[in-house]
Formats: sequence, C-alpha cells, structure tokens
Amino acid sequence: MIKLIHLTKTYKDLRAVDDLNLEVQEGTLFGFLGPNGAGKTTTIRMMAGVLKPTSGSVIINGMDLAQEPQKVKKCIGFIPDRPYVYEKLTGREFLKFIAGLYGMDSASSLEKRIQELLELFDLSHWGDELIESYSHGMKQRLVMCSALLPQPKVLIVDEPMVGLDPRGSRLVKDIFLGESRRKTTIFMSTHSLEVAAEVCQEIAIIQAGKIIARGNSEELKRLAGVEGSLESVFLKLTEGKRIAHATPLSAA
Amino acid sequence: MRRLYLLLSPRIWGFRNVLSKATGKGRKRTLIMVLVGLAFWALLFGLSFRVLKYFQSVEVIGDLLAHHLLGMILMVFFSLLIFSHVITALSNLYLSSDLELCHACPAHLEEVFISRAIYTLVDSSWMVVVFGLPVMMAYGFVFKPGSGFYFSLFHMGLGLALIAGGIGVLITMILVRIFPAQRTRDVIMLLGVCGLGALYLMFRLLRPERLVDPDAFFSIAQYMAALQGPDSQYLPTHWMTEALWAYLSRSSTKDVFFESSLLWSTAGAVTVINVWVAEAIYFAGFSKSQEAKRRRSGRRLLDFFVALIRRPFRPELAAMIDKDLRTFFRDNAQWSQLLLLGALVVVYVYNFSVLPLDKSPIRVDFLQNEIAFLNVGLAGFVLSAVSVRFIFPAVSSEGAAFWIVQSSPVPLRRFLWTKFALYLFPMLVLGEVLIVLTNHLLEVTPFMMGLSSVTMFLAVFGIVALGVGMGAMYPNFNHQNIAQVATGFGGLMFMILSAAFIALIVALEAGPVYVLVMADLRRGTVPGWQWLVIGLSFSAVLFLMAAAVHQPMKMGLKALSRYE
Repeated sequence: MIKLIHLTKTYKDLRAVDDLNLEVQEGTLFGFLGPNGAGKTTTIRMMAGVLKPTSGSVIINGMDLAQEPQKVKKCIGFIPDRPYVYEKLTGREFLKFIAGLYGMDSASSLEKRIQELLELFDLSHWGDELIESYSHGMKQRLVMCSALLPQPKVLIVDEPMVGLDPRGSRLVKDIFLGESRRKTTIFMSTHSLEVAAEVCQEIAIIQAGKIIARGNSEELKRLAGVEGSLESVFLKLTEGKRIAHATPLSAA
Repeated sequence: MRRLYLLLSPRIWGFRNVLSKATGKGRKRTLIMVLVGLAFWALLFGLSFRVLKYFQSVEVIGDLLAHHLLGMILMVFFSLLIFSHVITALSNLYLSSDLELCHACPAHLEEVFISRAIYTLVDSSWMVVVFGLPVMMAYGFVFKPGSGFYFSLFHMGLGLALIAGGIGVLITMILVRIFPAQRTRDVIMLLGVCGLGALYLMFRLLRPERLVDPDAFFSIAQYMAALQGPDSQYLPTHWMTEALWAYLSRSSTKDVFFESSLLWSTAGAVTVINVWVAEAIYFAGFSKSQEAKRRRSGRRLLDFFVALIRRPFRPELAAMIDKDLRTFFRDNAQWSQLLLLGALVVVYVYNFSVLPLDKSPIRVDFLQNEIAFLNVGLAGFVLSAVSVRFIFPAVSSEGAAFWIVQSSPVPLRRFLWTKFALYLFPMLVLGEVLIVLTNHLLEVTPFMMGLSSVTMFLAVFGIVALGVGMGAMYPNFNHQNIAQVATGFGGLMFMILSAAFIALIVALEAGPVYVLVMADLRRGTVPGWQWLVIGLSFSAVLFLMAAAVHQPMKMGLKALSRYE
C-alpha cells in the first residue's frame, strides 16, 4: 500500500532523509521511530504531499504521489504533529470544509458521519464552538476527526499522542487498531515506545535519515541482541549515534 | 537591572541576528525597502519644505501658519502615538507567546512590565519618528534655527513619546482589567476604525481645499486663529511646540528650560504611575487574558450569506469560499476595515462633486472627459491600495493551517483561482462604482463612460491576479496578525507593480483617447492611419491586461508549489 523508493530530502547542506526505501502492506499499523531530528517528520510530510522530495518517489495505493498528487491525496488522511487549524471556524464547520475539499457531498449522510466522529472523539458538545476556544488536545482530536472523515485507505500520523490526556490517548490507540482491522494502512511516527510496542505490527527505526532497523518487536529484539522492553532495543540500536542526527552534506 | 537587560536581550539579539545573518536575498529585500523608504522620506521632506517656504513668503500671517502647523503636527503625532501604544501594548503585555516564559522566570513583575513597556515604546514610536523626522528637518532647513532646536527636538520628542506611551499602556491595562485581552483588541480595533473613518469623512467634508483658494484667504486667517481652540497650555504638545518655536522664530528661549522641565517631569510622573498601576493590576489582567475565549458564534445571517455566495461553485471551491468568508467576517479586525473602505468611496465620489471645473481656463467639456479618463488611473490606484490590504494577504491568510490545503486533493492551481474568483466580484463592483458614479457627476460623453467602464472592468482582473499571484509569491504563513502581511516586502512590490500596471494602461490609452475625444467634441473624423495607431494601442492594453492576469498567477503557483 505504501512504497518509498530512494526517498531523499536535503536542505541546503543538510541531508534530512537519505535514500530511504520502505514498503508497508495494506492494513498494517506501522510504527516509525527515531531520535529527535532523525528525519521522521520530514519523511511523513513528504508522504503527505506537504513537502517535495529532493529525489525518489512516494507510491501510495499503486500511484506515484508526484505523478498523480490529487488521486493519491484522496486516499490519504494526514494528522500532523501540531494541530494548526482555522481558528475562526467551528469544529463542525471545519469538518464540512474538509468534506468539501475531498469532494464529499453535503447531504444528511455527511452530517451523520460528522456527528459520529465528533461523538467518537468526545467533541460533540464542542462542535458548534469556535476552534479558537479549544484546548491543544481538543484541536488534536478534531484534526483526527478530519483525517478519518473521508475514510482514507492510508492514514499518515505524526506524533499522535502529543497533547492528549491518558483517556484521549487510549481512545486514539483503540481507533487506530479498529481502522487497521478494517484494512486501513496506518503509518505513524512516535516518540512513545510504549505506544509503538502496544499497537504497531511492524516498526522501523530511522537514524540520521536512514532506516537502521525494521521488523516487529521480537525481530527488533533479536536484531539488537537484547531482551526486555522496546526501550532497551531502541537505545541499543541507536547507541553511539544519539547525537548524530541528520547528516550534513559536507560530512557525507 | 541585570534581569531587565536579560528580558530585553531576546529582542536585541534577534535584531542583531537579522542584520548579521541575512542572506543575499534578504539583504536585497532590505536594500529595496530602504531605497523606497528613502524616496518616500525625500518626497515628504520636499513637500514639507515647499509648504513651509510658501508660508514664509506670506507676509504677516506666514509665521503664524507655520507655528500652528507645528502644533497641529505634534498633536497628530501625539494622538497617533497614544493609539498605537494601546494596540501594541495589548500584544506585548498580554498576548505575545513568549510572555509565559517571562512570567515563569524568576524576575520581578516590575521588570517584566518595564521590559515589555520598552518593547511597546520602540514598536509604537519608530513609525512616527520615520514620518516625523523629514517634516521636522524641513522646519530646520527653512527656518535655520541653532543647535538648540535639534537638541530640544531629540530630548523633548523622547519625553513626548514616553508620555504618550504611558497613557497608552495605562489605557490598555485598565481595558484588559474590564474586558478579556482578546475582546479588548476587538473593541479597540472597532472603535479605532470607526473613529478613523468618521475623522476622515469629517475632515473631507470640511473642504480643506478652500485653504489654497486665494479668494478665501481672509477667512483662512480666521480659520487658523480658530485652530488655537484645541490647543491648551496644559498639553505636552503645547510645551514642545513653544520650545521648538522659540528656536525656529529666534525669539527668547528663556522659557525653554521651564517647558522642558514640565515635559520631563510629566513623563517621569506618568512612568511612575504606570509602574504603580502595573503592580496593582497587570498580572491579574495577564492571568485573565490566558483564559480561553469561549463564545457561541452568532451564525444565522452569516450562514445565509455564505450559502448564497457558495451556491454556484463546485464542492471543493465552495468549501474554500465558505471558509474564507466565515474567517473574514468573524475577525473584527478584518471586516471592520470595510467601514473605512466605505468612507473612502464616499469621499472619493464627493471629491468629484466639488471639483471647481467652472474656474478652469480650459473648455469644460474637454476637461470633464480628460478628468474622467485620468480617473481610471486614480480609481486603479485606489483599487491597488484596497487590494494590498485585502487580496495580497489572501494566500497568507491560511496561516499555519496551510498544511490542510497542501495535503488535500485540491490542486494548488484551483486553490489560487478560487481566491481569485472570490475577490474578483467585489473588486469589479468597487471599481465600477468608483468609475460610473464619478463619470455621472462629471457628465461625460457616452463614449468616455463606455471606455472608462470597460477599461476599469478589465484592469480589475489584472489587479486581482497581481494581488493573489504576488501574495502566493511572497507568502507569510507565520504571521501573528494578518495586517502585518501587507506591510512586508511582498506588499511593497505589489504596490509598485500594480501602480506601474495602471500607469501603463493610462499611458497606452492616453493618445487614442485624446484623438477620439477631440474628434467627438469637434464633430470631426479620425484619419485612417490614426485608426491603426488607436487599434495598436488598445491591442497593447488588452495584451498587457492578459499578461497581468496570466503571469502573476503562474509565478504565484510556481512559488507556492515550491513552498516548504
């Protein structure tokens, strides 16, 4: 469902993502881990069509994002790490706006779907309030509603748990698992190793713009040669490279 | 004191970094801004110099006029400074995102307050300094006072800014104590815009052009005498005016020390009172401003209006138009500017109704038609000024939420053209209202009415495309306030290009219009070769208009596609 082929992004003299190759099967809940500055958000933003790769391709649902951006974006729901939205709209208006962008009709079925999502994310009492009055966590949940609204085949999520309380966090995990069971492919970056261990069927660890390990929890433990939690695996695999973030081109 | 410096240091270091770490592109932009600023500065200086020279040449009342003008200028600057401080203090003392950090650090409240008040003083005063300096320099060049004038100008100017700042900050603190900070900004913006609109209308309807009518000169003397009314010996502007005038008129300067002392003791008192008041109410106001603003949106009228406008568009375009309209009309700082626009249109049309055409030595019918033609240029400039405020920031108005557009299946091309479509209709209406109403007042020929209406109709396409396209070429998605977007480098470039576009249209049409109007008025015929020139000129205008629509949109799309 998702294929990243030789994906590279450079900023002036910095290579943030370095020749990344990755394939994710349909219905997989894929965890994308890495230390700060490893290139997670850059990769995710390229996959969402928000950032243009320097080279390489993003193939989603068999289509090249660069060749057919509109068709690919119709299949994607994107949840960024910071939930910037239009503060002067109400939550319900914002969701209708998203529905409009995705060409969904504004019939009663849409109203019903919006109401369901607002209820699912515990926002139904806030649906008619201006977004400027929402807390960070509420905005984050609203953005999740908007990503799920067009029923995407692929959900691209950057740090979904930031700003969520434990209840919100549990809710999101359950929703992602449910979506995965419904064959939605979820590509999720996270700092939370607990979240990755709990919900992800497959995990990749990115370091300095390159994938350094990939597999399920057990495979990663074997690869790292450690027993115990995913945290010790992560620390072992990224050992000695903790401050070696993205590679300056001059050093490459 | 050390902590106060530390609290000020982010701004100082930030400014230093902007200067030292500017890239080639940034330096070029700064250079262009400085050059345009200098040109404006020179223009203002030249204009003030001429006015003062003229006053000096007028016997008996010339010096009186210059003296009163000085008082009026200082009074206007003082009022502007107070208003500007009220607005800026809201951001710097209550709404800035870095305030949490300042209040959380182990600094005294007094230090936090003073550091933010200094930010406010600098932010609010620099523009007045830029605009005021050439005028004051013109006084210096015309009256040739001694160095005492410049010394007094410097230190009393600083004192006056401190007083205005103190009053402005005090008003803000009291208003925030009554309303939440967010609401205070809305209230002040609304009052400010209404006040400005009313002032503008009132000033225009007073018909100040009569001041330059020699027949009414005697009454001007009376008028100037009447201007002494709002002045008072208790006002700081009065003390500064008198001190400066003592040097300018080379009369006795024995009172200057007294006036300076009055000004500085007032500045000191206002500062101390501010710190006292801040200790009592500032933190409570800041704390209140952190509370979430919760309000139910009064939506029925807006829903109806939005539904009406979005109806003809397909879903994704309708969604964007819907969002833009709601965002615009829910932002008091935005929609309230429509009131100013209304005042502008009224005054624009009124100007044409009081044109003294009968006093001109040129044939009235010829003059009417020529003015109608030049009016296309004038109305074009008005539309450019409106566009830089409303259309140029249209792309940037997406703000940090631009990722939604980027990641949506709507192509950026369609996004840009939707912005174009949204602004085109109101701009067409505005352009045609300006042209048709003024032409009607001028009683122009049907030919001129048709030509200027069609020219304006087509020019609006170019102006709107320039606004949207250049807004996409110079986007600012990180703005705190959408009004800032128009004041940047891109806004300046838009104004220059838009003015050049209008000027070029007028220049290309001027020749053919002259030939056709003269032929019409003299009931003569136009020779065949002139028809060829006329045809070429109008074709060039059409080509220019098409290019003005196509090129900026294309370049804007390219720039936006590359935006990261």
